[in-house]
Amino acid sequence: MTEEWEAIAAEGTDHRLLARVVARLLGPSGDPRTVLRELVARAVGAPVGGVDPGTLLAAIAPEPDVVGREAAAVVARRWTGLGVRAALAGDPAYPRRLLRGWPATGGPPLFAWRGPARGLPDGPAAAIVGARRATAYGTGVAAWLAEAAGTAGVTVVSGGAVGIDAAAHGGALGTAGGTAVVLGCGHAVGYPMAHARPDGLFDRVLTGGGWLVSELPPDSRPTPANVLARNRIVAGLVDVVVVVEGGVRSGALRTAEVAADRGVAVLAVPGDVRAPGSAAPHRLLADGAAPCCGPDDLLAALGDVATADVGHTPAAEDERRRTAPATVSVLPPEVAAVLGRRWPRPTRLDDLARASRVPAGRLLALLTRARVAGEVAESVEGVRLSRPPGRRGQGARRG
Amino acid sequence: MVATVGAAALVGLDVHPVRVECDSGNGLPQLRLVGLPDAAVREAGERVRSAVQRSGFAWPRQRVVVNLAPAALPKAGAGFDLPVALAVLLAEGLLPAGALADVWAFGELGLDGTARPVAGALAVADAVGRRGGRRLLVPDRAAVEAAFVAGLDVVPVADLREAVEVLRGDRAARRPPPPVAALEEPPPDLADVRGQPVARRALEIAAAGAHHLLLVGPPGCGKSMLARRLPGILPPLPVQQALEVAAIHSVAGVRPPDAPLSLRPPFREPHHTASVAGLVGGGSGVARPGELSCAHRGVLFMDELLEVPRWVLDALRQPLERGTVTVARSRTVVRFPARVLLVAATNPCACGHLGDPVRACRCRPGQVERYRSRLSGPLLDRIDLQVEVAPVDPRHLLDPPDGESTAAVAARVSAARAAVAERWSEGQTVRDAPARAVRGTCRREALTALGRAVEALALSTRAFDRCLRVARTIADLDGRAAVGRDHVDEAVAYRLAPAQVMA
Repeated sequence: MTEEWEAIAAEGTDHRLLARVVARLLGPSGDPRTVLRELVARAVGAPVGGVDPGTLLAAIAPEPDVVGREAAAVVARRWTGLGVRAALAGDPAYPRRLLRGWPATGGPPLFAWRGPARGLPDGPAAAIVGARRATAYGTGVAAWLAEAAGTAGVTVVSGGAVGIDAAAHGGALGTAGGTAVVLGCGHAVGYPMAHARPDGLFDRVLTGGGWLVSELPPDSRPTPANVLARNRIVAGLVDVVVVVEGGVRSGALRTAEVAADRGVAVLAVPGDVRAPGSAAPHRLLADGAAPCCGPDDLLAALGDVATADVGHTPAAEDERRRTAPATVSVLPPEVAAVLGRRWPRPTRLDDLARASRVPAGRLLALLTRARVAGEVAESVEGVRLSRPPGRRGQGARRG
Repeated sequence: MVATVGAAALVGLDVHPVRVECDSGNGLPQLRLVGLPDAAVREAGERVRSAVQRSGFAWPRQRVVVNLAPAALPKAGAGFDLPVALAVLLAEGLLPAGALADVWAFGELGLDGTARPVAGALAVADAVGRRGGRRLLVPDRAAVEAAFVAGLDVVPVADLREAVEVLRGDRAARRPPPPVAALEEPPPDLADVRGQPVARRALEIAAAGAHHLLLVGPPGCGKSMLARRLPGILPPLPVQQALEVAAIHSVAGVRPPDAPLSLRPPFREPHHTASVAGLVGGGSGVARPGELSCAHRGVLFMDELLEVPRWVLDALRQPLERGTVTVARSRTVVRFPARVLLVAATNPCACGHLGDPVRACRCRPGQVERYRSRLSGPLLDRIDLQVEVAPVDPRHLLDPPDGESTAAVAARVSAARAAVAERWSEGQTVRDAPARAVRGTCRREALTALGRAVEALALSTRAFDRCLRVARTIADLDGRAAVGRDHVDEAVAYRLAPAQVMA
C-alpha cells in the first residue's frame, strides 16, 4: 500500500499527504471543486503571499478512517496498473502555471497524469480548443496550428474530445513540443470511446511522449460538470488559448472566459460566416480577442518565451524549409495547385476534376497514391493537402 | 366419354402440365371441380357455366365432374377457365373428338364468354413449346407474348365461341402479330447529367463489370438521376435472356401481356418500405417473384438504403451472392433467378447535410458515426464501388451539358464486356469471376501497390479482392490485357475508407 503510493507520488511529492488528499477526494464531500472551495475559504485568512499549498492541503485532508483508507488503496491499485503519477499543488512536479494565484484561480488540489515521469514541462504552451462538431476547415486549421506550434517547441494542450481537440492533438503528435490531453474523467474511464480504444488517439499521444492529465480519481465519470471543470485546467496550463470553432454555447467559450480571467491571451480563428461553428470565434473577435490567421499569429502571441530556449524559431523553421530539398510529390502540379489554393479547406473530387482538367479515373488513381504517401487527407467534404502547400518545394514564404 | 384438354399450372416460375379431364353422368346438373383447386380455380365453375351458355351452347343436364390431374399438385389462378370450358364442350360432343389432341389452352373467361389474359402466358407458352405441344389457345392480348416462343402454333381467341369454331374447323385460326423485339423508348440520357465526373466514371465501371454500386450523397444531389441512366449504358439483352426476363415479369404481373419483347435490361426501384416478400418474392401458398427477380439481368435500385430494415437487407444478401432466390412456402419451395446489378443510395448522415458546404449538418456528435456504422457489414462488403456524390454547384447548373452521351459510354462498356467474354466465357462478369482467374491477369507491381494501399488506408482483406476485381474492369475499359498499377490505384479510390465512414 505505502509502496504503491511511493511509486505513484512524483518526485518531491509527499506520498502520505497524497494518499490523504485522495481519500478526501473519495469521501462524501470530496469532489475537487468542493475541496477547492474549502481551500479558498481557508486561504482567505492567510497573510498575503504566505499561502503554503502543502499546509493548506494538510489542513483539509485529515488522516482517513478505515473506509477512506480502503477506498484510497483501490485508487492506488488502479493508478499503478495504468502507470499514473500524481503530484499535489505546490509540489515540484505540479505545473507552475496552475499555481499562479492558487487556490483562488482554480488550480486543482491534485494533478494526476500518464506519460513522462517528470510531468508537464514549464516551457511555452498553447491551448487549441473548439467544438466536437467541426468542419473540415476547422480540423484542418487546428492540425496546422498545432503542428506548427509543436514544431516550434510549444506544448499543445487540449481537451481530448473528438473534432477540433482531436485534430489539435493529432497535429502536435511527434513534434518537439508534444501534446497534453486534459481529461474530463478519471484515467480508468475510456472517454471518448473513439480515442480510448487500443491504437486510438490516447495511445498515440502516450507512445508519442505526450501526457494524459486528470484532476479526478480513476473512476470518475465524464459528467457535464466534470467536463466543464476540465476547461479551467486547459486554460490554466497554457500561455495562450486559440479557439478554432464552436457554437454559441460551446465549452470552448468557457475555456476562453477562464483564460481571459487569468490574463492568458485569447486568439480566435475566423471562420466561414455561414457555418454555425463560427459563432464562438466570431463572438470572441467581436469582444476583442486577437484574430489567429496562421501559426505566425499564435507564435507571436506567445512572444519571446515561446522560442527562447528551443532551436525551433519561426525563422529557423523557414531556414530549414529553404535549405531542405524540395519534396517530390506524387500529385501533378495542376492538381496540387488547386488543392494548394483551397488549403486548408477541402476540395470536392468533382470540383477538383473540373478545375484541374484531369479525367476522373486518372485523378482517383493519383489521389490514392497521394493518400498512401500521406500527402492528402480525405473526408466527406472532399480532399485536402495534409500539409501547408508552402512546403512543397516552393521554399519560404518570407525572405 | 371422358374428355381431356391440356392446361398448365404455374408454381413460381415453373410450369407444370395439367390434364383437364371432364366426365358427365347421372346426377343433379351441377359442376364438381376436383384436383386441389384454389379459390380462383374453384370459382371457374361458375364462370365457365355462364360463359358456355352465353356463347350459345347448352349446359349438360347431368352431373359434370372436372378433374385437374395430377391431383396432388396445387392449382392456382384463373388460367384454367378456358381449358375447363373446352373439356366440358368436348365431353358433351359439341367438339369433334381428336380436335383437342396436343392442344393446350390457358386463359380466363368472362361471364359472357370473353377470353381474358392471365399473368404468365409467356412462361406457359415456353413450357408447352419445350414439351412438344402443337397448339396453344390463349386470349387475344396474351397472344403477343406467347408468340415470342418460336415453333409453337399460338392461336389468339377473342372469346369461347371463336375457340370452338376454330377447333371445329368452321373458322380459320387467326395468326398472332409477329414477335417484335424492341429497344422501346430510349432511357434517360447521361448527357443530361451536369458535372459529377466521379459518379459518371463509377457508373461506367459498374456497367462494364456488373459491380454493385453505392452512391452516398445529400438529398437532391442526383443519386436517382444517375441510377436511372445505368440501364441505358448496359448492353442490350440477347433474345434468350430477354425472354427469361419477360417470363418473370409476366408471372409477376408487372408487364402488359401485349407489350413487345424488350431487350432493355430491366430497372426496378422498390420503395424502402417494401416488405421482404415484396422484395425477394413470396406471398401466401405459392410464392410469386419479388422485385429482386423482376430486376433479373438488369438493375435493382435501392434508394435510402439505411432506411431499409436490417432484416430486409439481410434477406437480400444471399440472393445477391448466388444469383437466385429460394422461397419456401407452406406448400412448395420455389426458386427464382435474381442476377442483378445492385445500385444503392443513401444520405451521408441522418439529417442528410453532412459535408454540404452551405447547409449545416444537424446531427449530434456521435450520431453520424452511428448512422454510418449501419453501412458497414456484410452487404457493404459486396458493394465494389462506393462513391460520394455532391450536389452540383448551382453556378454550374446553367452551363451547357459537359458530359458524354449514353451512346458513347455504352460503346466503351460493350467493348469491355466483349473483352471479358473473350478472356473467360460468354456471360461471365468480372464481379463473379473466380478470384484466382482475376489475380492471374494482374501484374506483380499492381498486386504490390494494392497490398501497400490496403495496409496504409486500413482496408479489410475482403477489400483487397473486391478492389482487384474493380481494377480488372478498369483495365478492360482501358483496353489492357494485364491489370497495372494505375488501375489498382483507381480501384482503391472507390472504397469508402474507414476514416470516411467515420466522417
